[in-house]
Amino acid sequence: MSIDVTGVTKKYGDFVALDNVSVTLPTGQLTALLGPSGGGKSTLLRIIAGLDTADSGSVHIEGRDATKLPPQKRNVGFVFQHYAAFKHMTVAKNVAFGLEIRKRPKQDVQAKVAELLDLVHLSQFAHRLPSQLSGGQRQRMALARALAVEPTVLLLDEPFGALDAKVRKELRDWLRRLHDEVHVTTIFVTHDQEEALEVADEIVVINDGRVEQVGSPDSLYDTPANDFVMGFLGDVTRLGGLMLRPHDIEIDVEPGRPGAVQGRITRVLRVGFEVRLSVETADDAEVKVELTRTHAQQLGLVEGGTVWLTPAVGATTVVATQPVPA
Amino acid sequence: MVELSTPTKWLMRTVVIGYVFFLVAWPVGLIVQRAFAEGVGEFLSIFSNEQVVRALSLTAQVALQAVAINLVFGVGMSLLLVRYRFPGKRILSALIDLPLSVSPVVVGLSLLLVYNGRTGWFGTWLEEHGVQIIFSGPGMIMATCFVALPLVIREVVPVLQEIGDEQEQAARSLGANARQVFWRITLPSIKWAVVYGVVLSLARSLGEFGAVKIVSGNYVNQTQTATLIVESQYQSFEQQSAYAVSFVLAFVSVLCIVVVSILRPKEGHAR
Repeated sequence: MSIDVTGVTKKYGDFVALDNVSVTLPTGQLTALLGPSGGGKSTLLRIIAGLDTADSGSVHIEGRDATKLPPQKRNVGFVFQHYAAFKHMTVAKNVAFGLEIRKRPKQDVQAKVAELLDLVHLSQFAHRLPSQLSGGQRQRMALARALAVEPTVLLLDEPFGALDAKVRKELRDWLRRLHDEVHVTTIFVTHDQEEALEVADEIVVINDGRVEQVGSPDSLYDTPANDFVMGFLGDVTRLGGLMLRPHDIEIDVEPGRPGAVQGRITRVLRVGFEVRLSVETADDAEVKVELTRTHAQQLGLVEGGTVWLTPAVGATTVVATQPVPA
Repeated sequence: MVELSTPTKWLMRTVVIGYVFFLVAWPVGLIVQRAFAEGVGEFLSIFSNEQVVRALSLTAQVALQAVAINLVFGVGMSLLLVRYRFPGKRILSALIDLPLSVSPVVVGLSLLLVYNGRTGWFGTWLEEHGVQIIFSGPGMIMATCFVALPLVIREVVPVLQEIGDEQEQAARSLGANARQVFWRITLPSIKWAVVYGVVLSLARSLGEFGAVKIVSGNYVNQTQTATLIVESQYQSFEQQSAYAVSFVLAFVSVLCIVVVSILRPKEGHAR
């Protein structure tokens, strides 16, 4: 039981938004669709919700073929980046909307709305209009509204994209806790790899209309399938034909380790506890290295100094296939 | 805001107020004055003239029906223009503005060509089936609809564009069907634009003259509307009643606009 997307293709004119995408999203989990803007992740989410239709392929939700179903029959909750609050209704009316459409008895609706407003900490705002709420509060209201209909799946399209950094971080933690309480199958779209790594149980990396890799945050970070996934999940640099993370490079001021590459420090940048070095080697234009301030002080690294670089034991590496990014 | 020097400010105010006064306020004021020149009793006496009462009630009937038709089609066309893509959309959008630029007399003549009972393209067939368009109610309603067609649409379209369709998509994902989305989400969001469009259409419909004059035939007590009686009474030297009917027409239109500006929420609040 899950959401099964099989061979979905979607084109807008000449532009291929999704190219024969097949992916299975497990029940009860919090899954992130992660990728750069314009990569097709929002389109995939909208096709699952029924707000867009695929040119070909099928969507099954919990074993039921939903490919041809209109959105109102799919029992999905959808949360939009810009909230899509019903501006002419109070917060309570917004949350009650789906229940009133389903003609639930009045007391049931009231009880459910009260329960949900409590869950999203908006009880005291029940009689306000959305325009009187902050962005974060509006998005929590939109979540409560989507949860009210007890959806089989909760779909969130860049839910925190329009919020400022601090509120975004708070809501992210809150979403994770909410999911641990409610356990509804949740899929959210994001272009922020930190958000995906922090919140999701499972990440689907989508780029150029294709699924690049599916896996847990740790497995994606530790064993990326290709250099795109590696590059998208964190900083990368190149050392002797390998792509690896700047903090996975051992740095020495004396030669000695087997396979060490000699280079010259061209730049030292200190950011808080961290020191970022640019090292020029014979074959690579520039290698980025990160180490702690303490470690850098012990080694006495200065601009112009000569160092030897080796990939750390157990470092995540991918053979570089693409030219060095500018 | 641009800061202006005091003399410039006063000069601009004087020009604007003068312009509005000489063009609008003074002439309309004179109508009021003339309507009541011989006392309120004399003004009220026009309502005992059967011809006048019939004309006023005909105008009301035609205007209300035309507004009702334009309301339904106006909202429908606005949704079509904003929410759907189809070939010929730009042409349709341009056609909707046509009644603003074409003289109502031309509208009347063109309706006459199509629907008249003897030589009209469509009119002869309708006449054979017992439907008379020209020189009767349906023709007058059609002419009035035509001239007031763009008013609802031009009010509603920008509001629909501004609110976007995310709220409608959210409602659909929450289980609402097309009808429920329209009544619960779309209509409440555009209601002030609709009300304003209706009021403008009503004012325009009450005042329509040229197109109605041609298609109605101006038969006394049958197809003579209020604007037509103003002309005929003025020409037959019954100026007092011409002014009185003019005043009634102007009064109703002004009343509509005043009521709406009172009802309408202040700018800045959600519409």
